[in-house]
Amino acid sequence: MAIETRTHEPTVDYSLPFWKRKTVLHRIDMAAILILLIPVAIATILPLVYMFSQAFTPEDQVRNWPVEYIPREPTLASFQLLVTWPNLPIMRWMLNSFIVSTSVTALVLTINSLTAYAFGRLEFPGRDFLFIFVLTTLMIPGEVTLIPTFVIMRRLEWLDTYNALIWPAGAGVFGIFLLRQFFQSIPRELEDAAIIDGCGKFGTYWRIVLPLSRSALIALGIFTFLGSWNDLFWPLIALNSNEMRTLPVGLSILQHEGYTMQGLGMAAAALTTVPVLILYGIFQRHIIQGVMVTGLTGR
Amino acid sequence: MPRWRKLLPNYLFLVPYFVFFFLFLAGPNVYGFYISLFNWDILLPNKPFLGFGNYQELWLDKLWWLSLRNTVLFAALTVGGNVLLGLFASVLVKQRPPGHQILRFLFYTPVVLSVAVMGVILARVFNTEFGLLNYYVDMVGLPTQKWLGEQRFVIPILSLSTVWWTFGFPFLVFLAGLLNIPEPIYEAARIDGVNRLQSFTHITLPLLKPVTLFIVVTQFIAHFKVFGQMWIMTLGGPGNSSYSVVMYLYDVGWRFFRMGYASSLAFGLAAIILVVTLINFRFLGGRVEY
Repeated sequence: MAIETRTHEPTVDYSLPFWKRKTVLHRIDMAAILILLIPVAIATILPLVYMFSQAFTPEDQVRNWPVEYIPREPTLASFQLLVTWPNLPIMRWMLNSFIVSTSVTALVLTINSLTAYAFGRLEFPGRDFLFIFVLTTLMIPGEVTLIPTFVIMRRLEWLDTYNALIWPAGAGVFGIFLLRQFFQSIPRELEDAAIIDGCGKFGTYWRIVLPLSRSALIALGIFTFLGSWNDLFWPLIALNSNEMRTLPVGLSILQHEGYTMQGLGMAAAALTTVPVLILYGIFQRHIIQGVMVTGLTGR
Repeated sequence: MPRWRKLLPNYLFLVPYFVFFFLFLAGPNVYGFYISLFNWDILLPNKPFLGFGNYQELWLDKLWWLSLRNTVLFAALTVGGNVLLGLFASVLVKQRPPGHQILRFLFYTPVVLSVAVMGVILARVFNTEFGLLNYYVDMVGLPTQKWLGEQRFVIPILSLSTVWWTFGFPFLVFLAGLLNIPEPIYEAARIDGVNRLQSFTHITLPLLKPVTLFIVVTQFIAHFKVFGQMWIMTLGGPGNSSYSVVMYLYDVGWRFFRMGYASSLAFGLAAIILVVTLINFRFLGGRVEY
């Protein structure tokens, strides 16, 4: 399922810097394109720069104009205050977010790859019916399941625990489609060879199909982790004690409960964002390719 | 070995998923509809049966219609903005200007943020007293505004914020669609003397139709469920002018504990999403002929 990410047969020599390329027209074109795109890029990145600069600005200066994107007197005071503030256990929130997102990712990768293997590589009566049955549930928006899932969680006494945040992710459908499509592209001969060598079905799945699907599994893992790390609505409903909160919920509470210090909110937002930006930096190729191939929703 | 012994392992691969599927997806869908037929207060032991009473109440509920109006306006502006900006950026990036990979990376960056982070930052950007936008508005000599504090601005500002946050997604999908259009089509058109605007309107746009349909449908569904932006930036205000359907769902379910009514609300939302999806397919659907 590789996708063509380059233009076909370039009509200009792209190895040259753009001002040396063969036609004047091409140089003018490129300059015009950059003049149009650079403002978009600046607008895209400016609010993030603003967040970091405000997080490092002393509290008595954050409201000042002119806005300084590089604070004149950078300080860690907001971060120190945030970490030591008794009602804002942000390190605990971060730990919660890590535990939940990692568990969700492991769960989704395990369950979805098993399911996708059966739907994509095995043959048995009822397979297509079951697959279409799962497919149709995609037509119903997830909001419909919020209330009943909450009622079920309450019966199970799982509210305000990690269980409430982790287990529902096992029913996710997206990864099944992604992996099924990928598994189907693996040549059948490899599997036959493994069976002749005495591998069972599980052995084939574990030793042949999974290792060959590394890139798809990484993409699915990253999307799942980001989705779980960033989720606000369900954790907001399913959690109620302060020390069980995840970072996005904590952040929204901080925004509401009259913490008027501007640096505090921006420091918390920065702490929530840094792990995500690191992941995005490392796995940007997987993420961008993954979106381009599947066109999946970003969150 | 009998046939069933051979087939059994195949089914075993599906067992874990279907446990979760019935417990947290198919089951709750059915259970949710059941709940919507009752006056289901989670704190009270008896839950009187209402039939379709909740749905009747919903039909006459002014706050539901108001939140629906706000949400439709928000979703339409956001999807429109996202499609236009995404298409604009992808058409230009496809020409591979210098640094196009950096641009691609930057445009998608806000998409990986949590809605909570996005809300906290943009609430600050649009802050009346010391926000970034008013700083620049003031700098060019215009009167500063209460961006999120005025009814006429609040939905467009929330849409604009959301476009900033999410346009990287349609941008990448459009880019993938553009790169899939065979280059010889453009070459042939160029030889025939077709200018660039014509080749955009007569080749690019028609061939992008399926991609556009996909983006419009998925984006509409995603933005119709808007909650976080309002929850962080406006709490539905000023007045109820940015109160969204999912905010109303949240309030009915988790502030007033009327689970039955909240469930009927969720099904109302599902029905609207279904109708809009079908309309989109009707208008934008159809095959593409190369």
